[in-house]
Amino acid sequence: MKAGSSNRSSCGRLDDGALYQELKLMPNKDVPGVELKKYSCPYCLITFDAFEAIKSHIVADHKSEALPESEGTVHLTINGQEYTFQVEPDWTLYYLIHDKLGFTGTKLMCDRGACGSCTVIMNGRPILSCMTLAIECKGKRIETVEGIAASNHPLVEEYVKHHCMQCGYCTPGFVVTAKALLDRNLNPTEYEIREALGGNLCRCGTYPQHPKAIMDAAKILREANREPGIRDAG
Amino acid sequence: MRKFAHIDAHTVDEAVSALRLYGNRAAAIAGGTDLLGKMKDEILPRYPEALINLKTIPGLEFLREDAGVLRVGALTKLEDIGKEPLVCQKYAALSQAANRMASPHLREMGTLGGNLCQDIRCWYYRNPNNRFPCLRKGGGRCYAIDGDNRYHSIMGGSVEGGCYAVHPSDTAPALIALNALVVTSKRILNLENLFQVDVGKTTVLDADEILTEIQIPKPPDGAKSAFLKFAIRKSIDFPIVNCAAMITIFRGKVKAARICLNAVAVKPYRALNAEKAILGKQMDEKLAESAGLAALSESKPTERNGYMVQIAKTLVKRAILACNE
Repeated sequence: MKAGSSNRSSCGRLDDGALYQELKLMPNKDVPGVELKKYSCPYCLITFDAFEAIKSHIVADHKSEALPESEGTVHLTINGQEYTFQVEPDWTLYYLIHDKLGFTGTKLMCDRGACGSCTVIMNGRPILSCMTLAIECKGKRIETVEGIAASNHPLVEEYVKHHCMQCGYCTPGFVVTAKALLDRNLNPTEYEIREALGGNLCRCGTYPQHPKAIMDAAKILREANREPGIRDAG
Repeated sequence: MRKFAHIDAHTVDEAVSALRLYGNRAAAIAGGTDLLGKMKDEILPRYPEALINLKTIPGLEFLREDAGVLRVGALTKLEDIGKEPLVCQKYAALSQAANRMASPHLREMGTLGGNLCQDIRCWYYRNPNNRFPCLRKGGGRCYAIDGDNRYHSIMGGSVEGGCYAVHPSDTAPALIALNALVVTSKRILNLENLFQVDVGKTTVLDADEILTEIQIPKPPDGAKSAFLKFAIRKSIDFPIVNCAAMITIFRGKVKAARICLNAVAVKPYRALNAEKAILGKQMDEKLAESAGLAALSESKPTERNGYMVQIAKTLVKRAILACNE
């Protein structure tokens, strides 16, 4: 059978107009034979002629949203872009970002919150996306390693320069954690860096290189921050 | 993970009524770092039918001092507690415990309430796919008694032949040393009385009861507190033994002492013998050492965990000395 035939839309669902007409729910003056019905309020059964009227009645008198969103609707900002998803309760944030959205920089290794490979920044905090339910991220601001790379963050270049990876699988988790640290502290000591990276595991043993790269990136950021000041003074 | 229903609670009452509706078939989720691991591994005989999300309840994430009492909301993140200068200054043991727990990422996700209510880490209990239906799952026996019990209780089982799994919390001993109270949706109780060893339970909380707040009374004048932890790695690991102490020293003598060990027994273990041994005595290294011996005087290690006794003795000694600095 040809895809998209009959009255099914591309997403495989009956398209709304056809469905409503079939069920005779939608008042449609243009379609002959369809009876015009009034809208009755689900709370108090008062009837209205116009759709807009019942919407404002529900908002004003019942203090409820006129068209409430379903439970699994999640609005998210990922790397500065707004998204709306319909998620299942058992989806993790990792599954949404990696499998559904295709941001494959976020890696899954232990899947138990022990290794740090799946780190993303959520509202400024470095968190583990494998142990976060997507349905609990409503309204959150998320940054992944792709967003950090797109912003030309000096961490990426410094990580390459200092050769902070061998197999590279854990690297995105390290970069994201380091970015979260630099967002809070532009002048971290080596001890602070080691503490912040305490939750990232690397089986290749690249640990000594990370503080070097992060301190150099911090230096570049500090200089970049100072520049506008100099220009203003000039 | 298997399918489950997910309910966002917007008030404490809403969470309680949702939990009551499901009886024992639902679980409350805050940070989720313990619960989701359990669900992914399917360690429990029964899978929760619904998760009640507590994170959506406003007003449970706070940290402030009211009339000398430090009040910490149950949803307060461990990282925020550890980094708070006020806690660092006056409630050092809590700050040190929060900073030594798990990994930075888990501290950014995990809550104080969740840390107190977390489940045991016994490797028989946690084995995937409910491979060992042990006493804590309603089964017939404790597999650690005859098995590999290197990380199990050195203070005996919960009852004769009972569960040997230790309580893994880092904040619990610190808060017990600081004499904390916990506020739940039903009652206020001393933190020491919160813990319980039963099938599917680590606390006395009912199925429809949630923890809302932790209150730490003002430490006595001149009191100092400290927390120490022994684990293989500095980060990520659960404690093999940890110890917190709050000691008040007046003119060189011990005026008051509260010492609590954890990960050595099925519940956080208040070392009353050690407290008695040092009360009213001149504080010095020898006294601290005798407190360590007294604290472990009732220990009965199993075949493979005798080494924990030595660690616990030393931690008690060092925690007391850290309060004398």
